[in-house]
Amino acid sequence: MDISINGAKILYTFTDVPLFGTIHITQTLVMSWIVLLIVTGLCIWLGHGLQVENVSRRQAVAELLVTKLVEFVRGNMGSEFDKYIPLVGALFATSIVSNLMGLVGMWSPTADLSTELGWALVVFVLITYYKLKSSGLVGYLKGFLDPIFLFAPLNVISEFATPVSMACRHFGNILSGTVISALIYAALAAASYALLGALGANLVVAAMVLLAGILFSVLGRSKKQTFPKILGAVLLVLGVLALLTKLTGGLAGQFPWLDIGIPALASLYFDWFSGCIQAFIFCTLTTIFIKQAAGDP
Amino acid sequence: MSAIYQSLVTIDPITLICTICNLFIQIFLFKHFLFDKVMAVLDARRKAAEAELTEARNARTDAETMKAEYEQNMADAKAQANAIVAAAQKTATARSEELIGEARSQAAQIKQKAEEDIAQERKKAVNDLKNEIGGIAMDIASKVVEREIREEDHRDLIDEFIRNVGDAS
Repeated sequence: MDISINGAKILYTFTDVPLFGTIHITQTLVMSWIVLLIVTGLCIWLGHGLQVENVSRRQAVAELLVTKLVEFVRGNMGSEFDKYIPLVGALFATSIVSNLMGLVGMWSPTADLSTELGWALVVFVLITYYKLKSSGLVGYLKGFLDPIFLFAPLNVISEFATPVSMACRHFGNILSGTVISALIYAALAAASYALLGALGANLVVAAMVLLAGILFSVLGRSKKQTFPKILGAVLLVLGVLALLTKLTGGLAGQFPWLDIGIPALASLYFDWFSGCIQAFIFCTLTTIFIKQAAGDP
Repeated sequence: MSAIYQSLVTIDPITLICTICNLFIQIFLFKHFLFDKVMAVLDARRKAAEAELTEARNARTDAETMKAEYEQNMADAKAQANAIVAAAQKTATARSEELIGEARSQAAQIKQKAEEDIAQERKKAVNDLKNEIGGIAMDIASKVVEREIREEDHRDLIDEFIRNVGDAS
């Protein structure tokens, strides 16, 4: 079995475009537009028909989200950076929706380094703008010679490391989720074929597994113990599948049965937890870096 | 046709530029459709609450003013009532005293008149008696003297007699 983990699929290619040459329309581009539409749709849905009194449940959610966002930005940056609240909100919403795209089997735009690098560059421009603003051009350039001129190369590297690390952190986490998901699916499919191939080869073995499953199920139910119940259920399902495989002449064994349900447990961490936490980390770093660059007001 | 993929880790300039543009579009849309609206509502609510608070404070001040006014009015009314009662009492006392005085003077007048009447009656009675006694005395004397006594001749005598009778009575 071969597992291939690729980048974004190229859906269409424009050749000989003036100025740009070749343009690839990738999954990342299409999905990022879809994410844009989803987030905007959510914003419109949450933000329409707001009232001062008689607050609906939808409006309560909208107010909660915006209030939390404002609290988050003010908590990290103080209230003089209120104009960056929409930036942080848009980044967070786009990031989290992009990350969760993977859950429904679609391509995450955040599984493409270009996406995160784009965001990180915006943040980098803001950081540099505030550094220049707070210490002036001379002060900013002098900062590279800190503490002595020998450190200049290191300081330049560390300056560019900020956006690169931000982009790579986010990308790496989402990519690792994608990679591990692919591995888990492949491994479980292989395990499924092997197991059903072995069990379904012989009618007696299949029947015995089914019988053992029934036995453990009854035992677990009568003694009210959890372990025999689970074991019984697993053996029961395996027995049924093995019988099916035998009776269909190996056809049912071709389906990767173990890929049903089990990868959801891994997805709980890699898609849900990692997806949410990376969006949060990216926004936190954005606010903190801008605040740091602006220095003490 | 087999699918063509980008390599796993790559930077595509077009995607990069599009992502940045998308981010700015998203910022604008987020701000326009959700953030500004929610903030406006929150602001309106805060202002409404503040207005209500101010209104309540004003109403309370008004009520306190009204209460003070009312209390002042009540106190005034009470004082006025007291003054009226006091004045009435004074008037009544004065009137009763006047009436009593009048009655007393009337009584005194009546008494005086009665006394005068009595004195007059008495005088009259005395005079009548005198005359009668004079007549009687004349009759008796004439009987005694056996002759006509002329009153004008013996006036002095009769008067003296009567005086003596009067003193004796």
